[in-house]
Amino acid sequence: MIRISKLLGVMLGALLVAGNPAAAQPIEDELVLVTPVAKTLTDPTLAEFAKFAREKWNVTVKTAALAAGTPVAYGRIVEWKGRPEADIFWGGESALFDKLAEQKLLARLDLPKSVVDAIPASIGKPKPIPLKDPRGFWIGTVLEPYGLVYHPKVLARLGVQPPRDWDDLLDPKLKGNVAQSAPTRSSSSHATYEVILQRDGDAKGWEWLRRLAANTGIFAARSRDVPSVVARGEFAAGFAVPSYMAFEDRLAGFDIKFVAPKTAWITPEPIAVLAGAKHPRAAQAFIEFLLSERGQKVAMERGVFPITPKYRVQGAPGSRAEMAVEFTGGLRSYFDIEVNNIYDDGIAQKRYAEVNSQFRSAIESVWEELKKKY
Amino acid sequence: MRLPRVPAAGIGFALIWAFLAVFVLFPLTRIFYDAFTDEAGLFTLVNFQEFFTDRFYLRSLLNSLALGVATVFTTSVIGFAVAFLLVRYEFPYRNLFTYLTMLPLILPPLVGVLGFVFILGRAGTVNVLLMDWFGLSQPVNFMYGMQGVLLVETMHLFPMITLSVLDALAKVDPSLEEAAQGMGAKGWRRFRDITLPLTTPGYVSGALLVFIWTFADFITPLVVGVQDLLAAQAYLNIVQFVDRRIFRMGIVISALLVVFAIVFVLVARQYVAIKDYSSLSYSRVERRRLGPAARRLAVGFLGLLMLFSFIPQAGVVLAAIGRGWALTPFPVEYTLEFFEQVSIETPKFIVNSFLFSGLAVVLCLVIGVPMAWIMGRTRAPGRGSMDALTTLILAIPGTAIGIAYIRAFNYPLPFIDIPLTSLWIILPLVLAVRRLPYTVRGSYSSLLLVHRSMEEAAQNVGATGLRTFRDITVPLVWKGILVGGLFSFITSIQEASATIFLTLGGWEMIPFGIFTFYIAGSQSQAAALGVILIAVCALSLFAVNRMAGTKVGGLFG
Repeated sequence: MIRISKLLGVMLGALLVAGNPAAAQPIEDELVLVTPVAKTLTDPTLAEFAKFAREKWNVTVKTAALAAGTPVAYGRIVEWKGRPEADIFWGGESALFDKLAEQKLLARLDLPKSVVDAIPASIGKPKPIPLKDPRGFWIGTVLEPYGLVYHPKVLARLGVQPPRDWDDLLDPKLKGNVAQSAPTRSSSSHATYEVILQRDGDAKGWEWLRRLAANTGIFAARSRDVPSVVARGEFAAGFAVPSYMAFEDRLAGFDIKFVAPKTAWITPEPIAVLAGAKHPRAAQAFIEFLLSERGQKVAMERGVFPITPKYRVQGAPGSRAEMAVEFTGGLRSYFDIEVNNIYDDGIAQKRYAEVNSQFRSAIESVWEELKKKY
Repeated sequence: MRLPRVPAAGIGFALIWAFLAVFVLFPLTRIFYDAFTDEAGLFTLVNFQEFFTDRFYLRSLLNSLALGVATVFTTSVIGFAVAFLLVRYEFPYRNLFTYLTMLPLILPPLVGVLGFVFILGRAGTVNVLLMDWFGLSQPVNFMYGMQGVLLVETMHLFPMITLSVLDALAKVDPSLEEAAQGMGAKGWRRFRDITLPLTTPGYVSGALLVFIWTFADFITPLVVGVQDLLAAQAYLNIVQFVDRRIFRMGIVISALLVVFAIVFVLVARQYVAIKDYSSLSYSRVERRRLGPAARRLAVGFLGLLMLFSFIPQAGVVLAAIGRGWALTPFPVEYTLEFFEQVSIETPKFIVNSFLFSGLAVVLCLVIGVPMAWIMGRTRAPGRGSMDALTTLILAIPGTAIGIAYIRAFNYPLPFIDIPLTSLWIILPLVLAVRRLPYTVRGSYSSLLLVHRSMEEAAQNVGATGLRTFRDITVPLVWKGILVGGLFSFITSIQEASATIFLTLGGWEMIPFGIFTFYIAGSQSQAAALGVILIAVCALSLFAVNRMAGTKVGGLFG
């Protein structure tokens, strides 16, 4: 219904060339995200933002999130050619944001200097992970590791110890019991494939990945399906799972465990305003809100970590925040520890298609043979 | 009778063709254009060369064909048996079974396969019981693989065969069979030589639909981890935009899906063309009473079948009310929180669903009924192509139509300078196009039941063609049309394959909502919304059934 009135509005506007009465308001009353970040994280942050906007400006913002995997979201933004159906792109790899900025599809952020300065330029050694764009087109929002998950009961039945590192997934006892998503379909999987390739080098890395495929029981269509199938006990363990997705299943009452191996890649979940967005002021306000203490708190209760050393995941005993701390192995902030990152996004982006086609020929199309071979 | 020389009718005729040209032919040509060009827009055959030299794509093609054939086989065995029992024999609860047989058809995409996984998955009810009671250490793999897809498609689609055969069987003149019996042809022989040939047209069109449905379904295989099927490859390649080459291969595969659909229709052409509707009078069938043992057997078979085909519904309902359900036969903790959670957005989904499906039905009626009339009552030029086009639409996978629309209508329209893909009207449009064949066929078969002489009488007293149509024809066939319309509505409201590609924020229909919850990992919420959709559809189907009896089957022909 909103659409009809919007359409009529556009038509009337074209006919009358009338001024926009909403211009007087501090922010627009609508906000649309396009995002690979799951509903379970976007919904609570959007709801809290709407509350905040009502309190601060007395504006009722109608929010919506277009859920789309990173590649889809990216593709849609490119196809929109600067006439976006959404205001904000949230989540994915920062390199993609750089690509969008190059194509002039992003608007420069307009954030208070103190907010930007509170976020360090990068985190991790030997390869630093950038947390914000020096040119100001995107900024990180939360820190979120891509780790592995397992179901203790299924593991016990198989007689397997809980996994600690990636290599534990190659245990022959786990044959047919590992869930993963293809790197051609999922950006978290792609990034973790790169972690293995950059850790072991090409030859040994692909050999490792072929062994993992031999242990794999399902290539799920999306990364989000990986923790789901493990949570329900359909499969024993899952590869390359964003922490908060697994935590959602924990919150939903499932007995699922999460481990971030030492070399796990940590994404800053970048965010940006799209060039030509229909609600630019609401978009800027949302980003500023997300980086504020109140915004970060909402995110911290869903299994991700603050983007700035200013805050730590903390809550009353038994609270959701404390549950999240326990779930992610006792960590409260990535700025408390030495982050060991070996993933180089520059290398990864340069050979993105190459890794995909290698996966297709060396793993996907010979999966049955691999299962027999190892 | 020639096309009436009334300007209004001429304009209507032109408008119908314009609609078909813009919303069917143009998008399809657009994906073929994409398939035959490279990124620079230059003509190339490289895309097809890549497809036909790629082992994985070729395997997907073979798998898709094999799966289609296998599904036709399994649905035929079950579908024929059920239809035969329902039409020819009298036994307790026959009417109830007639209604229940149709229910599996109203299983929205995704919901069916999820329900099966909850019950038959590696940690589903059955496997948990097997492991707990019989000490099995590894679960039995019912679902993950081709066997799972075959199972889901069979239990979902056998009613399509049942309905088509039911319809055809009911039209077989019993005197033919009696004659055969008189000549000494009994039992199997009579069935093979008389009954089977007479029901073939109905059966073939049903089988074609089953084949194409299976061929085009990408959601079911993806849930059970099967990716080497054509439709799944089309979907997966399209939804990743980063790698432009893979993206283009998705379009190429969609184009191939359309090509195959055309081939299948041509193969089955002599049976499914609308013109070949021979007799539409239902014969009075004498039902044979079954003996006590046979009666028990019939009820037992149907009961067991129904029980099995309701596995998905049972699974979905349990998942919708169970909390943290894993590795126990049934949920341990029950809750209504998922219904509560979806209830925030559900009203929007329901409103959108009714609005878009309703509009689609109106469009179907406005365009489809005159089309049926043109085909049935006039000798207007191009009727043959209109018929062919209708049959073709029936066969084109929703995935391909969705992709075709997003490629074809992504350019700003004249005057308003907004692309059609940014206007919600594109959803009712695509739904209307998808369901148009049902309306045309439904109206056409009703039209054939109206004796020409009644219209001629009206014309003799001076009524024009259009007036005759409005005052005589429509009042006589409205019931058939209404049933056709309602049927289009039920199927539209469940549609996901075409709309998934076109939906933008705020336009979500219920199936898209289910899909979003599912991909967001909230399977319980997806299940809750699925239960709501099933309820909506079951109520609508009940209404159709009350109005039309088993004649709904004619719509599939």
